[in-house]
Amino acid sequence: MTLAVTAIALSVGSGGFAYFLPAVSEAFDATGQVVDVPSPTPTPTGTVGPTPSPTTRTPGSFTVLLLGSDNDTKFIGDHVLTQSMIIVRVNTNTKKVVMMSIPRDLWVPLSTGGTAKIDGAYSYGGPGAAIATVENNFGIHIDDYIWIGLAGLVHVIDAIGGIDVVTSAPVLDDFYPHDIGKGNPYRYLRVAVLAGPQHLDGTHALEYVRSRHNDLQSDFGRSQRQQQVLLALKAKAAEISAADVPGLAAAMKGQIKTSMSLQRIATLLPVAASLDIKKIQQIVLLPPYTHGCGCPQGYVIPVWSLILPLVQTYFP
Amino acid sequence: MISRFVLAAGLALLMVFSGIGSYVYLGTRQSNLTAAPQEPTAASPSPGAFSLPGTLFMTQSGAIYSLSAGRFHQLTTAAGWTQLAPYPSSNLLAVKRSQLSSDVYVVNRLGRVLRRLTNNTAPSTNYDPSARHWSFYPRLSRNNKTLFMSYDKPKFGFDVPMSIWAVPLGGTIQQGRLWSIAIDYTGGDMQPLPLASGALIYTKYLYGPEGKLVSQIWITNQPEVPYGGNVLAPPAGLGHGRPLTKPEEDCAQPSLSPNGKTIAMICTHETQVSDLTLASFNGSTLGPRRSVITNQLVAQPTWAPDSSGIAYLAPAQLGQGFQLWWLPKNAYAPPAPSPVPTPIPTPGGPVSSPVPTPTPSPAPAAPVIKPVQITTNLGFDATSPMVWIT
Repeated sequence: MTLAVTAIALSVGSGGFAYFLPAVSEAFDATGQVVDVPSPTPTPTGTVGPTPSPTTRTPGSFTVLLLGSDNDTKFIGDHVLTQSMIIVRVNTNTKKVVMMSIPRDLWVPLSTGGTAKIDGAYSYGGPGAAIATVENNFGIHIDDYIWIGLAGLVHVIDAIGGIDVVTSAPVLDDFYPHDIGKGNPYRYLRVAVLAGPQHLDGTHALEYVRSRHNDLQSDFGRSQRQQQVLLALKAKAAEISAADVPGLAAAMKGQIKTSMSLQRIATLLPVAASLDIKKIQQIVLLPPYTHGCGCPQGYVIPVWSLILPLVQTYFP
Repeated sequence: MISRFVLAAGLALLMVFSGIGSYVYLGTRQSNLTAAPQEPTAASPSPGAFSLPGTLFMTQSGAIYSLSAGRFHQLTTAAGWTQLAPYPSSNLLAVKRSQLSSDVYVVNRLGRVLRRLTNNTAPSTNYDPSARHWSFYPRLSRNNKTLFMSYDKPKFGFDVPMSIWAVPLGGTIQQGRLWSIAIDYTGGDMQPLPLASGALIYTKYLYGPEGKLVSQIWITNQPEVPYGGNVLAPPAGLGHGRPLTKPEEDCAQPSLSPNGKTIAMICTHETQVSDLTLASFNGSTLGPRRSVITNQLVAQPTWAPDSSGIAYLAPAQLGQGFQLWWLPKNAYAPPAPSPVPTPIPTPGGPVSSPVPTPTPSPAPAAPVIKPVQITTNLGFDATSPMVWIT
């Protein structure tokens, strides 16, 4: 009798193991990425960097750097630009969340040396360089990072059945890059995402957050749209059950990476579920916090005298 | 006595079944997040659908459907159909969208294409994406002679704003007249709504007080003269249009009541929630706003032709696709309460004592009328206006 019960328990366990095995395998691949923070190189003479307060951990809170990349066929391996950089601070005690988008064209000293647009930090030195660059310039301690590729965002949104979002204005682009999938990555598509409440699948959600041609605020407008989609994703994620995990893991295969361990993710999931979307503070570094350079390179100049006090207020 | 062999075989079989069973069971525990929306014709609408008057037309996944007498009918195949508008003789205007352009067609109530009204494509040998055009939100003028629509001309390289155009029915865009001048880098002007007076209501996208893109409902009474170059703010002193709502109200999708005295619209107040808002309309200005639905993601408010209520689209649960809802008139225009009867003292009491004043019983509280969810598990196109005809 004992033998029979043990055998059945084992076989039930094996069935469950087989069900979750692909997810576990993918989770081990994607999580616990080792972050190699490059040692800082002296800033070249003549480049004025910010002088933020030294980074410290705030008790009861953690900070994640969300990185979104063009990882289409125009790029080689992991040397991609981060089109989206969002710092998310979660206070687990007060349940307060602050999201701050960093303009991809922000002209800053990089942790790998020299001064360039901040989106190049990842390209030159991987996630460690992106984290160190943000920490050095903004004075915010980053606990972990999450990186997602273009196709990953499409797959994730499709895997959860799409998102409901109020698109704030029509997004029309006659020169939207047609670079996901096969074929010449330098082709263009026409896209038209209409305005108003609607249900978006992964492809249309990507069009909504990626296009920046038809927006006077260019990358800033895009940052606002990215935050809208992130919040819609968070709302939908609250409905995910454990049995959905293998399907989601398959959808994200190779398109998502994080320094968080599986154990840490498991700890944070209930915290994420308990957060109230309406209380999430959203910040986009629009003028006067930044201004254009009036130069062909199109980089964005940070006004550190305004940004650093803002950072100290929202990321103490 | 059962032999050891049979026992072992039975146990092995049990293990196989329990292993597979647990795998299959876990599969059945998946949420319905990824379930594709049902086809309307396969769904059973709620009993509320049977009380809706006339026929309601809407789109899902590129196909046109009608709802009449509580049953859905599929009128076209899923071929990019969207954005319906009324057309004489119970026909419809509809937009057919492809990957690179969209065109306006006349479709009869059985889904057969009667006429193509625009030609926004370009030869396949033309690789210039900007050689194609979009036509969205077609509406016919009240005299049925002019097609109003949102059209992407003029456009300036990366800047592709939609403007409101009026084209003689059956004519070409070259014969058309520009009725609005879009603000650049906003997406432009959408959802024209021609009025009986000859004026035009539409939705304009612009940068609000905090620099965010917002929508605003405008009215104009004549075509515009292009002033050339880019326009980065609402024209002051130039142009004929003027706003009916404030930028911070963030209102769009105007829909005029059958008697022309009330406008239903959605207002988001720059949030991710859209209220169903009503305002009286005297032909040139809007009265005070009244939000009658505030806790849903409301889209495409559409008046019943007999004024018995408003249909709209909204998800029943966030992220689960847009369903059809019905708000009966009593919910936003309850009948006036019947007058409280004046108490009449009962005669015959002692003259010396004061006449007792009977306390009138309080008027019964008006029942709260809630919106009725007509469909479940469907996924209507929330950017596509519905048409409701008798």
